[in-house]
Amino acid sequence: MLTRRAALARLALTGAAVTGVGLTASCSTGGGDGSADGGGAGGGSGQPLRISAIPDQDPDALTEREEAFAAHLASVLDIDVEYVPVPDYAASVSLFGAGDLDLVFYGGLTGVQAQLQNPEATIVAQRDIDPSFTSVFIANAEAGVSPVDSVEGLSVMAGKRFTFGSETSTSGRLMPSYFLSQAGVAESDLAGEPGFSGSHDSTIELVTSGSYEAGALNSQVWQARMEEGSIDTDKVIEVLVSPEFHDYHWLLRGDADERFGDGFTQQLTDAMLTMHESEEGRAIAEFYGAQSFIPAKAEDYQQIEEVARELGLIG
Amino acid sequence: MSPQADARAGVGERSEEEGPAGRGPDSSAYSLAGSRADSPAPVRAGSRSGLRAASRPGRWWVAGAVLLVAWSLWGSGIGREPVLNPPGWPSLRSFFAAALSPDLSADFLRRTLDATLVTIAFSLLGTVLAVLTGLVGGVLMSEAWWQRGGRAPGRGAPVRGPRSRAPGWLLTRIALGIPRGIHEAVWGIILLVILGRDPLVGILALAIPFGVITAKVYAEIIDETPPGPYDALITAGAGRLLAFVYATLPRIWGDLLAYGFYRFDCALRSAVILGMIGAGGLGFELITAFQGLAYERMWTLIYALIALGWLFDRWSASLRHPGRARWKRTSLLLGAALTVGSLLYLRPDLARLVSARTWERAGAMLADAIPPSLPSTWADLLGDAAATVQMSVLAIVVGSGIGVVAAFLGVHQVGDGPVRAAVAALCRVLLLTIRAISPPVWALLLLFVVLPGPLPGALALGLYNAGVLGRLFTEVLETMDRRPVLSLQLLGAGRITTFVYGVLPLVAGRFTAYALYRWEIAIRETVVVGVVGAGGLGRVLESQRASFDYSGMLTVVIALLLLSLLVDLASASARRAWR
Repeated sequence: MLTRRAALARLALTGAAVTGVGLTASCSTGGGDGSADGGGAGGGSGQPLRISAIPDQDPDALTEREEAFAAHLASVLDIDVEYVPVPDYAASVSLFGAGDLDLVFYGGLTGVQAQLQNPEATIVAQRDIDPSFTSVFIANAEAGVSPVDSVEGLSVMAGKRFTFGSETSTSGRLMPSYFLSQAGVAESDLAGEPGFSGSHDSTIELVTSGSYEAGALNSQVWQARMEEGSIDTDKVIEVLVSPEFHDYHWLLRGDADERFGDGFTQQLTDAMLTMHESEEGRAIAEFYGAQSFIPAKAEDYQQIEEVARELGLIG
Repeated sequence: MSPQADARAGVGERSEEEGPAGRGPDSSAYSLAGSRADSPAPVRAGSRSGLRAASRPGRWWVAGAVLLVAWSLWGSGIGREPVLNPPGWPSLRSFFAAALSPDLSADFLRRTLDATLVTIAFSLLGTVLAVLTGLVGGVLMSEAWWQRGGRAPGRGAPVRGPRSRAPGWLLTRIALGIPRGIHEAVWGIILLVILGRDPLVGILALAIPFGVITAKVYAEIIDETPPGPYDALITAGAGRLLAFVYATLPRIWGDLLAYGFYRFDCALRSAVILGMIGAGGLGFELITAFQGLAYERMWTLIYALIALGWLFDRWSASLRHPGRARWKRTSLLLGAALTVGSLLYLRPDLARLVSARTWERAGAMLADAIPPSLPSTWADLLGDAAATVQMSVLAIVVGSGIGVVAAFLGVHQVGDGPVRAAVAALCRVLLLTIRAISPPVWALLLLFVVLPGPLPGALALGLYNAGVLGRLFTEVLETMDRRPVLSLQLLGAGRITTFVYGVLPLVAGRFTAYALYRWEIAIRETVVVGVVGAGGLGRVLESQRASFDYSGMLTVVIALLLLSLLVDLASASARRAWR
């Protein structure tokens, strides 16, 4: 008998079965999973504090550092803390805005971007080394660039193939670009378009290979690689260590008190600023290449914001 | 030839004629489902094109193509300035040397397995959603559903075919071009901002563009099915749904399934790119390993990708053989089980789709994006658009070149000697490997030895497309009608003569159709190599993403849509003129 129901049954058997099952299952999973608060990520209590960091170095080292930090915060604050890895700088800012990351260790520029998109967010702290951060300009040995002793000397970079690191890296793009412009070299004065290697390590590799004649990166990473001896100093030379600028800092979502209880922001700030007082805390700070964490305020990043506006990096 | 086979042949041809807007290989994927063994569908199309290749309009298209390629070569700087960087070889060599020593530590293998599962789950859920959209949309978009449904018995047969709907044809094409013309990666970027950290981002970024393509292809499969049985049921008073399910569906579901598998293969590769922008899985691991220059780890991941590609390639190939109904049903059940497993593994939070925060963020993004703003000047935008076209043209030239060579070396026929078989196997593995290494990774790798500019981007896309085209070309060669070759050989023709008169005319048309079809895709793919400073619209989009300039992004997305529409129309008319 050809009935509508039989037809539908047959439909289910022949092909739509997959999709039918899929949809039903997805409805039930979705319904049972976090739909209660109705507001996506926001509002639910009992959710862990989700910490993250921009992917500015070897992912393993990053994970190790962030997980140690998470464990420490969890024990000091007596809450659940979860580390969420992100693949790139822009995604990290987007996810902070979407309310999926609570406390993020941002670079200067990404921090400013995230702050501008989320004015209610709080700057919690910075490392003791962040107020005096530097970039380093490097060049391929064959590029005909010799070390210089002032920012003005960077005019040698005009007409060179030059690579930055990540597009919104403070020490790998923003400040190097700023110092270049102080030496009279706009990004358009470089040979072709500037490169964006994606990471500090890739910048070293690309300049070593000679694809780019010069580049700029985070001095901390450069120093570390020098000490490891992984840099071929016959092929790549240091041109200039830049003047100091403010860089990394921790940004906390504005709804943290709402979600983790009144006074949470203060508790977290205190925990971070006193971290160096315990043995365990000092070990954490060391992971970050610091001795201690210190207070940070919005004014510290004024210069970064200005430079970013000039470069059109703030939408 | 059976009516069934005849219909299949029709599918193959019509798809080509209309321009494989998301078809070419797609059409092969499903037309082969029923025809591989007994119907010379591809051959018919091929032989006709071969015979008429020298016709007048075809010659104009050839001249145009030559000019376009010359202009693209000029744009890449080849011959005008140094483009290679020989001192970078050691860096590239150390990457390939690491292929012999992948990271096999238990820890990393576990991570690779995890990432592999995530990638499979994303691709599968995205594909399933696309197929679901395709089923519903395909039925609604088919002429069969609308035309014959309301037809009174006794009235003349409905006029069908592309010409009869000429007024709506272009409009439909444009409307469907929008979700399809936006690359999965761009969908991913948009959805990541709106939905935040949820598997939905990856799933939907695949399902939206793929769903539209699938609907279009399914509608065509439905329309190419002889309407007799359907009409008979309608005339007997059955409803449209019932008639469709009993009369049409049983005859086409093998094709629908085969196409679904082809889509899944595409989804796997796209999921890797999506992983790089935040969806997780193998793409995420691959790009972070690259950022840390951890080549051994990259190879572990690449091997996982190769294994995955190979596995699903075999699976879908096994479904393309006619018959084997039980295996098809088992595959379907297996697919269903995997789908449920994927849902449980990823646990997408459907509540996000309707949550207030999502709508708020979508609204804010739209408010930011509208009205679209010019990234810099009109001249810059045009220049970037031109660079994008040049990159895509070079990519297709390189891809087709390598693809053709690899296909002729990689084709495997019954009765080949062991050496021939070994060469064929090696070629296939090579094609699989270059497909498994995503274009952004290729681009960053090539940057060691090719000086920055459009060239590394174009070559990266070219290599990747060689992987895809090589496989499609191999398929064409394997399903080719051997009779002309045999008769030429029996008449005593030499190898070259046999090749020129027996093989080339049969396959040239199909090869060209596939190359033109991939060209349209390559335009969109330029987006994902934008990272390497390759210039073009992809580069602009990348810096807009970094600076959250949504209004500028909208302009670039519109520009990319227009380009992809232009290329679509150009390649469709080129193919028509070529036949």
